[in-house]
Amino acid sequence: MLGLLLRRRSRCAFNSVRSLTSYEWTRNSVFGLAGLSLLFGLYYGFYRVLSFLSTVELIGLLLIWKLTAMLLLMTLSMVVVSSLLTSMTTLFYSYDLKFLMKAPLSLRTIFLDKSLESAFFASWMIGLVLVPYVLALMRVLHLGPAFFAAFAFSLPPFLLLAASFGVGFTLLLLYLFPSSRTRDVVWVFSSLSMTVIYGLIRFAQPEKLIRPDMLKVVAEYLNYLQAPTAPYLPSWWLALALQAAAGGRWGAWALQAAGLWGAAFAVYAGLVGLAGRTYFVGYSGAQEAALRKRTHKFSLLPEQRLFGAGRLSALLWKERVAFFRDVKHWSQMLLIVGLVFVYLFSISRLPHDAPEFWSLIAFLNVGTAGFVIAALGLRFTFPAISLEGRGWWILKSSPLTIGQIMRQKFFFSLAPTLAVALILGWMTTRFIGADRFTTQVSIAALLGVAVVLCGMGVGLGALFPRFTVENVHQIESSLGGFVYMAASLFYIGGTLSILAWPMRMHFLAMMGNPRAWDAPSAWVAGGLWAILSVGAFGATWTLGRRTLENYEE
Amino acid sequence: MIEIEGLVKRFGTHTAVAGLDLKVEPGEIFGFLGPNGAGKTTTVKCVTGLLKPTAGRVRVAGFDLATQTLEAKRSMGLVPDEPFVYPKLTGVEYLRFIGELYGAPLETMRARIPDLLEMFELRPWGGELVESYSHGMRQKLVLAGILLHDPKVLILDEPMVGLDPKSGRLVKDIFLKLSERGTTIFMCTHVLEIAEKLCDRVGIMIEGRMIACGTVAELEAQAKTKGSDLEGIFLSLTGGAEYSTLLRYL
Repeated sequence: MLGLLLRRRSRCAFNSVRSLTSYEWTRNSVFGLAGLSLLFGLYYGFYRVLSFLSTVELIGLLLIWKLTAMLLLMTLSMVVVSSLLTSMTTLFYSYDLKFLMKAPLSLRTIFLDKSLESAFFASWMIGLVLVPYVLALMRVLHLGPAFFAAFAFSLPPFLLLAASFGVGFTLLLLYLFPSSRTRDVVWVFSSLSMTVIYGLIRFAQPEKLIRPDMLKVVAEYLNYLQAPTAPYLPSWWLALALQAAAGGRWGAWALQAAGLWGAAFAVYAGLVGLAGRTYFVGYSGAQEAALRKRTHKFSLLPEQRLFGAGRLSALLWKERVAFFRDVKHWSQMLLIVGLVFVYLFSISRLPHDAPEFWSLIAFLNVGTAGFVIAALGLRFTFPAISLEGRGWWILKSSPLTIGQIMRQKFFFSLAPTLAVALILGWMTTRFIGADRFTTQVSIAALLGVAVVLCGMGVGLGALFPRFTVENVHQIESSLGGFVYMAASLFYIGGTLSILAWPMRMHFLAMMGNPRAWDAPSAWVAGGLWAILSVGAFGATWTLGRRTLENYEE
Repeated sequence: MIEIEGLVKRFGTHTAVAGLDLKVEPGEIFGFLGPNGAGKTTTVKCVTGLLKPTAGRVRVAGFDLATQTLEAKRSMGLVPDEPFVYPKLTGVEYLRFIGELYGAPLETMRARIPDLLEMFELRPWGGELVESYSHGMRQKLVLAGILLHDPKVLILDEPMVGLDPKSGRLVKDIFLKLSERGTTIFMCTHVLEIAEKLCDRVGIMIEGRMIACGTVAELEAQAKTKGSDLEGIFLSLTGGAEYSTLLRYL
């Protein structure tokens, strides 16, 4: 029966591709190429890093494999978090569950089908980023296609094992707390605990372990490099498998790969066994909505007091009320708060032994903080249009233009994004002690990046609308989500490249070359950045608006 | 009040609506019938601006849908075949939101929303989230939403689906009363009994074309089925002669 369910998935995917119009083919191809160029950029970046490491005498290879193990550990943790967020909606709230539950299918079959779907959506994009790394590794270490085949064979069980955490946690949560109110409270507390644990791990300053100057003798550093990175986790098993394949030790590789596949089978067999007793209790509980009367005062809405009594205010009110009542958003906001704290803490712990570079770091912070803003946009801004879901008919048939709807989405995302940008920019420059000019440029650039990324998020969200998906993670991990991230990274890269020009003049002037500063050149750079920003915002916005105006289900 | 001229809607090579011409007068209740896949819902979507016609023109309350889109939409109220409503809003909040979108004054909303909830027996549920509503309750909420802003034209796609008998009767009476007040009602339905009792005229569509349009008496004459009810007329016009042979596949 599972075979039948999987065949219906492949058939649906095939039919979706076959029914694409020529416009959709063109659009997807163009933006798919943009995504590919991002992967190529990553490949190039990885290649440069790995090439540099390979030139380090004696320990070059050790460094490369240590980095690989750390990257795999990071991938593992990202898939775990992603699966936690995806599992609940996929396992318990999918549209097709009503049909599947009525069909003569065993609960275990349905569970397996849904858990594999959840694992796929939680991991495919994160797994894809490993591909350019492995290709760069192959080039630096002169490895043949057999290595890639070995990687491709070992990757699926690794991702499945990582995703099984979220699946298992959600299964138990819904079984133990079938009442929706209790479940919501537990879900928020679980997220809060994860945020706290994440923060505690970071505040323990693990970087002390990898800074050679913190260790007493060279031998300790070598020991650290050779020691396993989290040996009980699948990321280390995959690292060992890759190491074995790179060394041509195929027997050792087969052993590790078999271990990964065996563990994945065992874990899913255990989950399927557990699902037989618990899945229906959770599913049944998930159908019940919590009853709690809410009163509504027929006075001006808070948004109307702020922005006037237009339709935009009503849209903002609807968005705010619906957003904050969805407990899944709370958990994500908690994780974001944790992420911002950890980011600021990491900045505050940067070694202060090279003061001449502090301002440079403050400027480069525009890139990393911009990446954080782009990641937030991927979760909150980009899906905003698609999240109207099957209620899209209400807005589309109402006397609103598509532009008005998009503007509301933009303004709803803008305020929190600007707040995050301001906190990251202002606090970072304060911690680092950047000079006034760098502080002003960094904060202005980050605020500009926040505005443009919000516009691009709404524009690309409208360009790739998905009103019939089951959960927000399917929107994030769609082609459109990938394109949004690629476009955002290109824009941030462009911003850094252009603003590096006046920053360079400023640093040279600070270093004692007063003629280095050339005001007209700085204005030209500012103008170029403005053109880039308006172009990125305007192009994605216009394309998105046109697409949404002509959107047909 | 609704003027459709040469409406064509194609999806790739498939033509869902193939040149529809129709005029529905103010205060008229028009029933739109046809087998599944005939193009009824596509027509409704084109008339309400959810789909862009491939060709043709639609005017609602005197406004051209292509050029005066917002004015046309403001004068319409839609009940779709699937009444999906924001699950995280309460019933009262949904109605308030709809009122705001269509520009209903605050005083009107304050007075009308409790009345509408009362009328559809949703008052005890008004403060609960829509996610806890049954299909029929959502249907009633959407109906209450369109009555709130008092549109000149109602477009209804299967408005009776999911309603209990009492609510069904209430909705029929509401439509008759609105029609008396001059509201135009354009209704797709498969419930022929309702169409027969409620509609001034009925149109039957097959494969994107209107094959018959008129009062029930006119359709009876066209189908040459004297003394038949609308079901008999419908089956006759849509190929009901072969109907009896279908059961042999059972």
